[in-house]
Amino acid sequence: MQTHKSLVSKYLLILAVLISFLVVLVGFKSPEDAYKPTRHTVTIFKMKFNPENLVVNKGDTVVWINKDFYQHDVTELTSKKWTSKPFNQGESWSKVITEDIKYYCDLHKVMKGNITIAK
Amino acid sequence: MKTTMKYKLTVICTLVMGMSSLMMAQDTPQLSDPEIASVAVVANQIDVDYGQVALKRSHNKEVKDFANRMIEDHNAVIKQAVALVTKLGVTPKDNAMSQSLMSQSKETLKKLNSVSSNDFDKTYIDNEVAYHEAVIGAVKNVLIPQAQNSELKDLLEAVLPALEAHLGHAKMAQGKISK
Repeated sequence: MQTHKSLVSKYLLILAVLISFLVVLVGFKSPEDAYKPTRHTVTIFKMKFNPENLVVNKGDTVVWINKDFYQHDVTELTSKKWTSKPFNQGESWSKVITEDIKYYCDLHKVMKGNITIAK
Repeated sequence: MKTTMKYKLTVICTLVMGMSSLMMAQDTPQLSDPEIASVAVVANQIDVDYGQVALKRSHNKEVKDFANRMIEDHNAVIKQAVALVTKLGVTPKDNAMSQSLMSQSKETLKKLNSVSSNDFDKTYIDNEVAYHEAVIGAVKNVLIPQAQNSELKDLLEAVLPALEAHLGHAKMAQGKISK
């Protein structure tokens, strides 16, 4: 016959095992599980990228939405390494960000923006 | 060189005179919305026409790209203006300001078509800088303050940043051509 004290001890032991198991599970989570990439939006309106400067985490996605009735594009500034090609009002274009970026609109060269990876 | 300077001065004087008459219009009967719509369409069409000449006469990629952009963007504004007046049931009304813009543009087109090939790019871009500066002044100081319909005012306000972006772009091209 088990005493009340030994029953409590048994439950406490089971509880401790369960907690340990959860701790181990959390400890073995991969980095991908730890951070879920986020989607950020840059609105193109009245000939401006808004926000002009954006800080994101590596692997996040940025979506540019054109709300002007003019065509725009999103092009890498220093060497035109990549470009969205022109897109119309109501259309969007997205890119996964893996490094700091300086970009501009090649159609309206005074429009510029920056994306920085958070340190 | 002398001819280019003379032309530049003529363009500036003509535009200043045009702007003065636009500013004087504030003291005389104000522009009605149908008249503002007419000025907006005419002013945009004029820059489309200049762009068409540039596509025909220039051999410089930068100038041709700029001209193409002016044609695309100003046609987009005309499309918006036509859609708005159609929606509002308004017919653009010819007036002294749109007539003045038209007669100035005829002179400029004549010049753009007759200037030597070597001087064309600089003549076109200098005119684009001066023209956008003048139109920005007119939109900001005359057309927006006088527009009564809120949607017409909104359209003019939406056009202003594009005109300023075009001016910045034209100045960049001007800097490269002058070198």
